[in-house]
Amino acid sequence: MEKRDEHKKSPIARRKFLKALGTAVAGGSILAVSGGLIGRVKGAEADHYWQIDPAKCTQCGRCETHCVLPVSAVKCIHANKVCGYCDLCGGYYRTNARELNTAAENMMCPTGAIERKFVEDPYFEYTINEDLCNGCGKCVKGCGSFGNGSLYLQIKRDLCTDCNECKIATVCPADAITRVPLTWAYKLKD
Amino acid sequence: MKKTILRNVAIVTAIFIVTLSVMLITNFFQVRGTTPLQAEVVETLKQLNDANSNNPELQEQIRQLDLMTRKAYFIRYDHLMAGLYILLGMLAVFIVCVRLYFARDKNIPDKELDPIDEWAIKTQARKYVTWGAAGIAAIALLFVILTSPYLQTEASEADEPEVVADAVTDTYTSEPVVAGDELVVATEPAVVSSEGTGENAETAVVAQPETVIQQPIVSSVTHNAFRGNNSNGISSARGVPVKWDLSNGTNIAWKQEVPREGLNSPVINGNRIFFSGADAEARELYCYDLTTGERLWTLAATNIPGSPSQMPETQHGTGLAASSVATNGTQVCAIFATGDIICADMNGNRLWAKNLGVPDNHYGYASSLLTYGNTVIVQYDNSTAPRVMAFDLATGNERWSRNRTERVTWSSPIIATVNNTPQLVLMGNPSISGYNPNTGEQLWRVECLTGEVGASACSANGIVFGASEYSKLVAINAADGSLLWESNEYLPEASSPVATNTTLYVATSYGVLASYDVQTGELKKEHELAAELWSSPMIVDGKLFMMTNDGKMHIYSADDEFRLIDSFETGERTLSTPAFTDGKIVIRTENSIYCVTAS
Amino acid sequence: MKKKLFIGLSLLLNGVAYAQNRFPKPDFESGYEYPDITYPIPNESLWVTLDIILLVVLMGIVAWAALKKRTRKPIIWVSIISVAYFGFFRSGCICSIGSIQNISLALVDNSYILPVSVLLFFILPIVFAFLFGRVFCAGVCPFGALQELVNVKNYRLSKAVTTVLGMIPWIYLIFAILYAVTRSSFIICRFDPFIGIFRLGGDIGMIAFGTLLLIASIFIGRPFCRFICPYGALLSLFSRVSIWKVEITPKQCINCDLCHDACPVDAIKPPYENKVKESRQQGVKRVLIYFVVLPLMVIAGAFLTRSVSGELSRANKDVRLYDMVMEHEVNPQDVLSLELEAFYGQGSSIEELTEKQEAIQAEFKFYSTIAGALIGLVVGFALIGLSLKRTRKQYEIDHAACVACGRCFSYCPQNKIGIESGNISL
Repeated sequence: MEKRDEHKKSPIARRKFLKALGTAVAGGSILAVSGGLIGRVKGAEADHYWQIDPAKCTQCGRCETHCVLPVSAVKCIHANKVCGYCDLCGGYYRTNARELNTAAENMMCPTGAIERKFVEDPYFEYTINEDLCNGCGKCVKGCGSFGNGSLYLQIKRDLCTDCNECKIATVCPADAITRVPLTWAYKLKD
Repeated sequence: MKKTILRNVAIVTAIFIVTLSVMLITNFFQVRGTTPLQAEVVETLKQLNDANSNNPELQEQIRQLDLMTRKAYFIRYDHLMAGLYILLGMLAVFIVCVRLYFARDKNIPDKELDPIDEWAIKTQARKYVTWGAAGIAAIALLFVILTSPYLQTEASEADEPEVVADAVTDTYTSEPVVAGDELVVATEPAVVSSEGTGENAETAVVAQPETVIQQPIVSSVTHNAFRGNNSNGISSARGVPVKWDLSNGTNIAWKQEVPREGLNSPVINGNRIFFSGADAEARELYCYDLTTGERLWTLAATNIPGSPSQMPETQHGTGLAASSVATNGTQVCAIFATGDIICADMNGNRLWAKNLGVPDNHYGYASSLLTYGNTVIVQYDNSTAPRVMAFDLATGNERWSRNRTERVTWSSPIIATVNNTPQLVLMGNPSISGYNPNTGEQLWRVECLTGEVGASACSANGIVFGASEYSKLVAINAADGSLLWESNEYLPEASSPVATNTTLYVATSYGVLASYDVQTGELKKEHELAAELWSSPMIVDGKLFMMTNDGKMHIYSADDEFRLIDSFETGERTLSTPAFTDGKIVIRTENSIYCVTAS
Repeated sequence: MKKKLFIGLSLLLNGVAYAQNRFPKPDFESGYEYPDITYPIPNESLWVTLDIILLVVLMGIVAWAALKKRTRKPIIWVSIISVAYFGFFRSGCICSIGSIQNISLALVDNSYILPVSVLLFFILPIVFAFLFGRVFCAGVCPFGALQELVNVKNYRLSKAVTTVLGMIPWIYLIFAILYAVTRSSFIICRFDPFIGIFRLGGDIGMIAFGTLLLIASIFIGRPFCRFICPYGALLSLFSRVSIWKVEITPKQCINCDLCHDACPVDAIKPPYENKVKESRQQGVKRVLIYFVVLPLMVIAGAFLTRSVSGELSRANKDVRLYDMVMEHEVNPQDVLSLELEAFYGQGSSIEELTEKQEAIQAEFKFYSTIAGALIGLVVGFALIGLSLKRTRKQYEIDHAACVACGRCFSYCPQNKIGIESGNISL
């Protein structure tokens, strides 16, 4: 009789025991994982952001089409201090531009995002209108093969959503997009 | 009452949402389609404009279209964003209305889907899980079997015969010959089978010459670079003419004036001949038809960023276009003493061009180009930044580049075949070195030369031979870079040596031809020509062709005997090396280029 | 950190070397000065701090509403806040679901930098699940919240089907970890159905999938949470044994079945008697058979995924590049793809790439074996779980499945009239 009682009770006792065991294991594993990783985490210095390495960039044009944002967070950036201020600018005019004027058939930028201003003979200052720039990199390619390479593509920090995995990085043929510490952001070419 | 309002609002918003969504989706695809970059029409028109001379109508059209695509792009984008915000707002309204509408209906339980008994559910679920897992495992297994290497080797074996068949049919075409690195042995035109007796055979024979007239038969034997494929001084051409004369036109197919001077040697691929010419006004790459001698196109090296406006100082004996061009049958490249390198396709369209920096070279840059696969190799030994580079022929991208420690040289790169692997061999002051042509990795380096190195190396059977005047002649085992032997009796200045498996031939600038045993370096035989020579000897069809500067051709047997077969005046002073293909020789003289054909 | 610093430094050097000075710096005579350009750097750390605070506060509110107050209203408000803030406003990363990948990568790769925010986003919901159940899922997770908000009516799916679909998250979790530890891809982020909706842009395929899921969740309770979300699977492990939880007090329950009917995630199990007759012996035998088969399944799974590891590794960029390069070496005349152009353009050596590719393949071989074993284990455990027979006399809550949405509270007639229908039990 007693034995049967015990038999009847035991499933509940067993379940309770298992539950307690489970709780202990779960709690233990939380402590173990967080304990193991807590030494590894870095605070503010660990903040890394997606940036393009201009030395690797091949201006393939995927930055324009593959960003998750409707208009890419990649924009052309102009390092004035490297620029030669040329009249015949490889980023501003098409390769075989017949006349150096702003007619559509002579312009490199498909959206007209490069603005130019006369400084003094024979120098011109070029600026990028970021509202128009779509990050296609045509001008960067032009400047790289004809000029000083003062134009380059970079991810604008204020536009980038800092995806856990940058979609452009997954298709970048040159592996030019990596996470770098904040201190390096934008600074790559000036 | 309130419920009716909610219901009506929900219905209205739902209709609105569906309509808006459809519009937005269309808009989305249109925006994707009309990014200004992808406006192909505009791009094509722009290219058309580049090709055409000034055409105001076309330009106007481009401007109109460009404006339209830009407007479309930015307006559509704005609409898309505005539409998305409206859509979100509408969705929120819809959800709120529907939720409130159903808020009171929560007490009506659904009909139970499952059987009441949980065990029955579990039994069913167990079945599903088992089948699901079995299905996934089966798919994985199938995948493993399908991708197993055994199956793939079988498949590739089955494919192979087709490829061979293609290669055979391609042997004689008018298209440029894209040959691999190995020398292609020319196959004779298909011999009509003797089985077809009588008319059949006759008609076939008659029919053949007709096709010949319509479509010139082009040999598969190419002469892709200076001194032939791989720049080794050996051509597999057969039936080459052994006698010709410019003064009376014997065996001369055609002769053309050369537009601009240059000491480079012509190259042949398919039915096309390429060479370059330059003077202070222009630097140009030419393409001529092998059969007719007609100039097919000219490509000027202009508009190259970094190209110097002032021509570098060169000696008259070098000039601005001493480097021979090189082709792989798809692209052709030329380099000039200004450091400008240009690349064109077979139809003369410029693919890319760049300036490598004006070479610091007191006589003028003279190293020839060499193609390897789809790269072009540039030996750039100058006084400031000596290096060797490989560029992608299609794009001009640098595949690899290696700095060198050599001083200025005028030698050209060659490809030696060592244990069935190609090696890039460069000669310079002070060393001869072997590189991996795919990566630029240096394999070996032997310091053995001094002074001004003008000749190029040659190779046979895995042995590399190099020599320079006032220095010495060396033989190097290219497998490990060990020195086999050296000699200093006869040393070349501009003419490069050539070697067969048994004999090495060296030509000095003062006109002595000497043959050496390749293994021991023992001097076997020597000939005194008593003439100055800059051209390099070529071994073709068992004969050695040697042109002296006075325009005299000397033909020797390229064997142990090394005897003079013939020696005759061609009629014009010649400094460059002839190019060979089946039955034809192309020779550039000081002012002209001509083709010799077998009678 | 040292490594990263080195990379950063070499980037800078490269950058300097890259600038080609074809044209000299102009000498301006008109007194022109270079424009001083500074680029905006948003204050990330402030927002991240706010994220963490809000995460904790919102989870606290849900826990209080579900366990103490037993009402759904605050949870709805939390959902709205979460969708607005975490979803539409912050729209970026990191989210707890994606953080699984960062954590697993950090566990195997010592050089991987793990920001503290990522660790907190990963561990805090787990801690809360361990203490109070899946309060994160209830409305703090913007994905769960979005589905919760659009849900109008619950049409029930067959329990057998949902059981099978419920295994997907586990397999997804295993693969996500496999691809994360091999540094190949963050598949959870890549195949995220809702992020495109929050950002109003992105991959059109995933947005379409997300829209379909949302339409489905109007009629079905939380399809994403139940059948896809790998983090939910992880949380269910902890909520199963959570310390404080809602229970149905048998004495007060009037067996009205309203709560069972209201539950969107099938977390309330009704009482039942065994109607299908099967001898106890047969049941025991089945369980025993499954226990014997379990190791076989593990081995089979390990073997199969190991055999396909070569194919699985093709998701890795370097492996794909290697294949392309090898193909190109065979047919050097073919037109170069952008990848190959970049590869040859940078003068990278094939040997290096081969080495890298071999290392990745080896890694894949190792980790996919483990992954396959785990999949076998998941299937085996599912089968064993489905063969355990228990008689249930009253309504019970399945704490692994419960997402603490709080719907049942308002349905329970006993709860409404002020009697505690539930009970916090330890």
